[in-house]
Order: sequence, then C-alpha cells, then structure tokens
Amino acid sequence: MTVQHLSPKPMEFQDMMALSLDVSFFTSEFRLCDVIAEYLADIVAQSHEDPARYANFSSQLINEIVEVAFSSARAMSKVDFKLVKNGLCIRFSVGFLYEKDSSMPWATLCEPAAASPRHPVHDLIALAQAIEVDIHAEADADDRVLLVADFHAREAVH
Amino acid sequence: MSRFASSFSVEFNELNQEIVLSGRMRPRISEEMASVTDVVRRSLLESQNTVYVNLKRLTHLNMTAFRCLEDTLINACKAGPQRNIVIVTSSVIAWSAPLFKTLASGLPNLVVEIYDSAFYPGQTFVEDESFIPILRTQTKMTWRHEREILRRHGLRDGMAVADICCGIGDFATLVKRHFNPTRLLALDHSKKSLEYARQVAEDFGLKSIEYTYGDASQMLMADSQFDFVTCRHSLQIFDRPDVLLRELYRICKPGGRVYITNEKNSHCLGEPHSETIRWTYEQVAKLFSHFDMDVEMGPKSRRLLTDAGFDAIQVETFMVTNLDGDPRDFADVIEAWENVYAGQMAVRRGDPPEFIRRFRQGFKDHVLAALHPKGYAGWPIWAASGRKPY
Ligand SMILES: C[S@@+](CC[C@H](N)C(=O)[O-])C[C@H]1O[C@@H](n2cnc3c(N)ncnc32)[C@H](O)[C@@H]1O
Repeated sequence: MTVQHLSPKPMEFQDMMALSLDVSFFTSEFRLCDVIAEYLADIVAQSHEDPARYANFSSQLINEIVEVAFSSARAMSKVDFKLVKNGLCIRFSVGFLYEKDSSMPWATLCEPAAASPRHPVHDLIALAQAIEVDIHAEADADDRVLLVADFHAREAVH
Repeated sequence: MSRFASSFSVEFNELNQEIVLSGRMRPRISEEMASVTDVVRRSLLESQNTVYVNLKRLTHLNMTAFRCLEDTLINACKAGPQRNIVIVTSSVIAWSAPLFKTLASGLPNLVVEIYDSAFYPGQTFVEDESFIPILRTQTKMTWRHEREILRRHGLRDGMAVADICCGIGDFATLVKRHFNPTRLLALDHSKKSLEYARQVAEDFGLKSIEYTYGDASQMLMADSQFDFVTCRHSLQIFDRPDVLLRELYRICKPGGRVYITNEKNSHCLGEPHSETIRWTYEQVAKLFSHFDMDVEMGPKSRRLLTDAGFDAIQVETFMVTNLDGDPRDFADVIEAWENVYAGQMAVRRGDPPEFIRRFRQGFKDHVLAALHPKGYAGWPIWAASGRKPY
C-alpha cells in the first residue's frame, strides 16, 4: 500500500466504465463479489498481450477490494465501481460509505493501521504487497472511502 | 461468469505424498473451508519427510481461503519440524507463487516452487524446439483436408473460436484467414511455441488472435464462451484426456461444437516396404504408451466425446498422403518423427541399439515410399466433433 502515490493526475484519466449499485442489492448475495470482480478484470485485461492470464491476475486483487466493500459498506447507500485509464495504467476504484462507528482509520491506510489484523483492509494490503500492485485509499468529507488499485500494462504475468 | 465463486476440490495422493487443490476458492467465511483444511491438515500430519501441496490448478483464491490454508500450513510446520512441505505452483497463475512465498519466509521447512515441467507425460519431447518445424509442416498437410472437414463439422464464418493446445499457432492463423472468427483464442502451455505463434501472427499482420499461456486441463476462461472449440493432436498426449475434454466442454457454448483430431499411429502405411513400415509404427504406439500417451486414440474419439456428455457426434477419417502437395513435405515430417521418436524417446526408454536401428529403418522406408515415383505413403487421422447440449 503506497501512501504517497506517484500515479498521474486524475484529470489525465479517461473513463472506461462505471457501475453504481445499491448496497442492499450488492450485499444481498456474496457471489456478486466474484461476478463483479470477474467482469471488471476482463475489462482491465482486454488490451493486455495475454488477456486470459491478466484477467485472472487482476481479478485476484479486484475481488479482494470488492469483498472489502461488501463487508464494510454502510447499508442504505451506494457503492460505486469505476475503471479509468491513461497511457500508463488502468485504475480501478470502489467508493462506498463505511460504518460511522468504525474506529479504523480508513482515510490514511498507512502501515500501522494495516498492521492490525482487525482492520478490514489488512488482508487486502498483504495481497497487494505480495503481488506488487499499487493500492491506496482516499476519503472525502462525507466519510466516503475510495479504494484504488493501479494496474500497469507492464505488470509481470510472463 | 456462471461458475460458482467457490467450486473446488482437494485430493490426497498417498503414493506421491501430494495434496492437490484445484478450482476456485472464494468462500465468504472461513467455515466454508473446513472440509478442505481438514483434508489438508490430516494429509500433512500423515505424511513423512517431504509432502507436496500442488496448487497448479487452483485458479482463484480469496484471502479468507488463503488465511485458512496459511493457518493449516503453519500449524503443520510447527507440529512436524522434520517434515518438509513443498508448495507447488505454476507460472500460469501469476499471483500464486508471490502470495505463497510470503508464507515461506518465516518457516524453514516450507518452500514454494514454480513447477512448469512434468505437466503431462511427454512434455519434454513435445515442448522441445525441434518439434516446431514438424508441427508447421504437419498443419500445412492436414489443412488441405481440414479446411473442408471443419465446415462439415459446423465451423462457420464469424464464430467465436478457441484452439486449445494450439502449438505454434499455424492452425489459428489459417482459421483466422479462412473463417474470419469474431473472436479467436489460442492457448498452449509452451512459452516457446507461443512466442513463435505471436511472431507468425505479426508477420502476417493478423492482430486479433488472443494467444494465451495456460493449462488446458484447468483453463482461466469463463464457461460457455465459444461456438467452436478445437483441440488437435493433443488429447492423445495427455494421460487424462477426460479431464481435458471436461474443460473443452465447459468453455464451449451450449449448441456449440468441440472438434478434436487424433491419430492411430500403428495405421501409418507405405508401399514399398509395407512390412518394415508397419512394424515401426506399431512400435511408435508402444513407445508412446510407455510414456503414458495414447497415439492410438483416433478411433476412440466417439467414445471419449460421448462419455464427456456431447451429442450429435460426427467422426471421420482422412489420410494425409505423399500425393497431397509436395511429397518432400511428408518426407520431412517422417524424418522429424524419426529424430524425436528413435533419436530421443527410444533412447530415453533405454532401448538397445539393435532395436533403434530396426526402428529407424521403418521411418527410412516410409520416406522412401513417400518420395518413390510409384510409392504411396499415408498417415491416417481421425477428426471428430460433438455438440454441447443446450
Ligand atoms: C502435438 S502438439 C499439437 C499442437 C497443435 N495443436 C498442432 O496440431 O500443431 C501438442 C501441444 O499441446 C501442448 N500442451 C500439452 N499439454 C498442455 C497443457 N496442459 N496445456 C496447454 N497446452 C498443452 C503442447 O505444448 C503442444 O504444443
């Protein structure tokens, strides 16, 4: 998990797709995490040299992010999945409102917070580090958290 | 997309001291992993010295499942410090080795190995670079027949097509040029062949073929994607063709067809010298069977397709002969067979020089039959297909 993020400025990104779901619908069935992750990973991988393998690789992380949203998003709100791209990477993000009483510091997914196994993103960070994909979190004033992963075309699936 | 988030299996092979995990493991809660961790834990505890945990066919794993496996492995490492646990991963699944390597650092008796060899019995022969020119010429010779046969088996313009075990991709480029599929995926487990295939496609300016490095017996593609799935000359080199057919069936759309070609090597023939030729090709069949490959599979295609659940099965045979095109092509293929079968495989089996000399003679006679102005040389192939029911 990188805190100081070095990726290009957001305005350089072009939209690829956006999907907005009611949390109550999204959390009605756990299987949806897998379905959504596979769908998004296919799009992430479509212009990769080996789309089938890259989709499998990216779905591993995307699924974990989607599962974090599944278990942390506050009811009666929306969860937003988004893919944008620029010349360097495809950026995947999930935005959702987390439970207000959560004591976990979502906004700054820094190392100490991540080190706590109780933090909802603990496993996600461990995975991202293992497979060397940059992820970070942003939070806005409305307590909405945005989990962001950048997939680079150069990423090693050779 | 219709595959379940979690559909996995775990098996323990006592003989090989190997625990094989396969499929998709994306449980919601760790309790859903209980049956798996139970088998893994018991198998680990039962094993002495070295035990292998084979993850080559585990295509999806969420962190809930990973943590369950991690706990089980850590406990087993601590309970038996004298026992070595080898986690076997494949480079097809790009996340697998890096993730499991995070475990190994703290556990001296656990190692992670990326293991892309011994995927199937004859891999060392088939993935040898010397096979590349043979495959090229073979496809050139069979295409003369298959171009029409494929139509009879239902291949049409504009379909979504997958060629599984595509080798150097010649067949895919021919399908692309003659049938203009809307989607064309070509999968193989040989990186060298795929590299070659990509180069060939680029040279011909064919842009849209999706070459993918993968394992045909556990593919990464979703269910029901393709109208026409081909797998040529490859089922016969697997020791478990049923496993491969199950995957071909899975990625085929209902109503689509799976098309396979296989040989019956002992039926290769030639005149003159029919006797020495016949003897040699009978030996070819026995040699392959020694390495768990069945190059007599052709006539079994109907049964294999039926057992795999296909209907509307079609089977036909065709004979590649020295009269199709340039006989020198056929002679080149036979010489290449001789090099691999007599020069490598028989040597590996430990055959005595006298056997190898006689074995080679049949190939030389077959070449002679192919090039002789009055000679005839043939190589019979079974083309079969079945429809995936709606
Ligand atoms: C005899 S060659 C046939 C190649 C091609 N279909 C042709 O007719 O020219 C068999 C091919 O199967 C591939 N193969 C073997 N095992 C495989 C596996 N588990 N997954 C994918 N490809 C595999 C080999 O790399 C090889 O290219």
